[in-house]
Amino acid sequence: MVLLWAAATFTFLIQCVLPGDRAQIIINVTSGNVGPASSAELAAINAKYGFDQPLAIQYGKYILGILHGDLGESYQQHRPVARIIAEQIGPTISLAVAALLIAWMIAILTTLIIAGRDNICAKLLNDAQVFFATAPPYWLATILLVVFAVKLRIFPVIGGNSPIGLVLPTLALALELSGFFGQVVQNEFTRVLEQPFVTSARARGMSDFGVRFRHVLRHAALPGITLSGWALGKLLSGAILIEVVFARQGLGGVLVAATSSRDVPIVSGAVLISASLFVLVSLIVDLTYRVADPRIKLT
Amino acid sequence: MSLSNAQSRRRFTRQSNHRVKKVAASLFVLQSLSQFAPSAHAEEASGDNVKRGGVIRYGHFQEPACLFGGWVQQWYLQRQYSDNLVARSESGKIVPWLAESWTISDDKKVYTFEIKPDVKFTDGTPLDAQAIADNINGWLSNDPDLRNPTAAPYLSDSFESATAIAPLRLQVTLKVPFQPLLNVFAQSSQGILSPSALKRGLAVNCENPVGSGPFIVDKWRHGREVTFRRNPEYNSAPATAKHQGPAYVDGISWKFLPDQTVRYGSLITGETDAIYDIPAVAWKDANSRFPVLRHLTGGTPLRLALYTARPPFDDELVRKAFAYSTDRKAAVDTSFLGSLPFEGNGALSQSSPEYLSELGHSYAYDIRKANQLLDQAGWTERNPNGVRVKKGNPLIVRISYSNAFLKPDDEQALQVVQQQASQAGFDVRLQPTNPADFFAGKNLGPDDYEVVLLYWVAPGAEIFRISWKPDQNGEINRFNPSRFQDPRLWDVIQKAEQNFNGSERTDLYQQAERKIVDEAPVIGLTVLDVTLATKPNLKDVWLDRGAVGEPVFYDAYFDDKK
Repeated sequence: MVLLWAAATFTFLIQCVLPGDRAQIIINVTSGNVGPASSAELAAINAKYGFDQPLAIQYGKYILGILHGDLGESYQQHRPVARIIAEQIGPTISLAVAALLIAWMIAILTTLIIAGRDNICAKLLNDAQVFFATAPPYWLATILLVVFAVKLRIFPVIGGNSPIGLVLPTLALALELSGFFGQVVQNEFTRVLEQPFVTSARARGMSDFGVRFRHVLRHAALPGITLSGWALGKLLSGAILIEVVFARQGLGGVLVAATSSRDVPIVSGAVLISASLFVLVSLIVDLTYRVADPRIKLT
Repeated sequence: MSLSNAQSRRRFTRQSNHRVKKVAASLFVLQSLSQFAPSAHAEEASGDNVKRGGVIRYGHFQEPACLFGGWVQQWYLQRQYSDNLVARSESGKIVPWLAESWTISDDKKVYTFEIKPDVKFTDGTPLDAQAIADNINGWLSNDPDLRNPTAAPYLSDSFESATAIAPLRLQVTLKVPFQPLLNVFAQSSQGILSPSALKRGLAVNCENPVGSGPFIVDKWRHGREVTFRRNPEYNSAPATAKHQGPAYVDGISWKFLPDQTVRYGSLITGETDAIYDIPAVAWKDANSRFPVLRHLTGGTPLRLALYTARPPFDDELVRKAFAYSTDRKAAVDTSFLGSLPFEGNGALSQSSPEYLSELGHSYAYDIRKANQLLDQAGWTERNPNGVRVKKGNPLIVRISYSNAFLKPDDEQALQVVQQQASQAGFDVRLQPTNPADFFAGKNLGPDDYEVVLLYWVAPGAEIFRISWKPDQNGEINRFNPSRFQDPRLWDVIQKAEQNFNGSERTDLYQQAERKIVDEAPVIGLTVLDVTLATKPNLKDVWLDRGAVGEPVFYDAYFDDKK
């Protein structure tokens, strides 16, 4: 609750501190113009949005609204922010979660294959991980789009919300993350491979794959799980770019437009929702530790 | 009015890198595409035997926040679902639309329109003189829900009232004659909306506006598309249309595809039937393969507005020197790869009826002349960096611009200009500004810039009123970023507006045009265009000449089975 209150207050303060008159921006964005508007126009907008009231009253109304689940009304779309976010957040979450799962799958598979091995295949995969970890997702997105949608026509250019349309955006996001996960898990994996219990498992006659999959992976995954909390934040911000490139529905387009037109109610609503998501994800990550490592007890 | 606003809203930091990658990728697309798409050329469409049905999948560029308003991105949409009082033909003639005929009083202050009978808005409200009067009076009010940011700057000085003097007779009364009135009424932003629907408030109307046009807004899936369905009762097509009665197609799926690779790629792969704004890198390819429609917008060109209210550009010699020192034609040719022409006439775009082509090559690159003018203006010394200095002040020129109003290629052109002007001793500093800050006024204050890049789309020279009206009664003219205020120029412009003799009015506007170019408060760079590429089987799409060149899908049909 404290975190959410802090986020709400922060976004309110930001909009007051940012340079430029709010009414002026609304008029300019609406009309596609720049320059100072007439005092009559400004007065009408100030009255409509209550900008002419003291800041303390504006803040009080804002916080009270949030407590009642009212995130305000968009300056540009003139619709309730909660509704705008509600209709856009679904595709963004499905994209982020799909990308997280795919990133994990790619990372685990490559780690199982390459950790502790020193052959050409392992080296190539390792280099690929580093490459993907450093490649900007929007660049990857364009390349994937050109090759697989426009040239090979395996996937649609305009994916929409269809499952097949989810493939390329998911890959564009997941490849980068899989590189990060892969590198982190692989380091830990290599370290764990040298632990006595691994030797003991091998001594019991377990296959190499079995040892890696059933024993080592569970230990090596812990830093990766920690990383997942961070990754989800990264995915949500990455999704904004990817959604714009792929013309996908989602928070991305809305947020980019809202940021560019300083549609503060939408931006602060999105910040609040993201903060809540982060709280939720951190909780899930903590619970997952318990599953991966039974020694950790919930207190 | 900005053409390409949010486009740019969708660009991020490290823009130039991003852009280079995009261009490279797009080129790759083009190379790889030639093997797939069949070549096609524009065909003459016939009005007979038109096949009905099908939904046009149209890939647009930017998604506005509201389906009507003052930004041209909203005009494109409004053109599909609303009708105007009058229409403007390709030749610039005003022809009937909702008004079947009209008369103008001898003192040119009273317009009486006879409204087409039996027209209804798609919510069933009758479209009569009262409905139109309600719209017009709302545009000129200060009510933020009704005010029209396009109509207001044109008409606020001259408009007195709009009244229904009979059910189908509308009277518009002006305080002073204003000849461009009908041109203003013909712009899509002045489409007539249902007054009973307007009472629902902006929140509902932005989402689901109600007009009387050939299509009805069906659903807006934010972030993806607006779907339109045919208005089966449509009986109010303009005289510019190729047919009367309901539209041929069942509807339009108006998709928002901000990324140019996706947009052009979707046409190549057949996922769209028409796309807006052909990317510069694909311009030649698109022309060789698809029917291409193009309209260069009237009004102002994209131009450099020089801040004339303080040094160095308060001195006309320095303004001219800056113009001569920059090879803007080369900058435009290099940056736009032939997709957009250079425009040397800073006053008016070449598609405006009053355009003087002899001014189109004003201030051609002449570094010798630039140096001469600067010497004459007293900027004789140079500092160790080669920048000219006068009374200890270096000749700094800060250019403010925002991707809110520019295509990425414009930025490249500015970088070329920056290099060129340095030869004459200008220290040009580029001030790219993100859209939110730009709208908030960053880098636009009186001491913040020497040059700013802006434009305003209009049918023609009536734009002079907006650009060059002097500050009055303590309210500054926010649309005059060069702050050039010349009472004689304003006098000529007002005389032109009040003159109803076509050739005399054109002469007056051209006098103003010459004066503007001659005194160089603005320097031309390039024009804005509207381009559309369509699939060969989609016939009779056309671009409206009311103001911007909005695509009109009313007459369009598919000439084979989809």
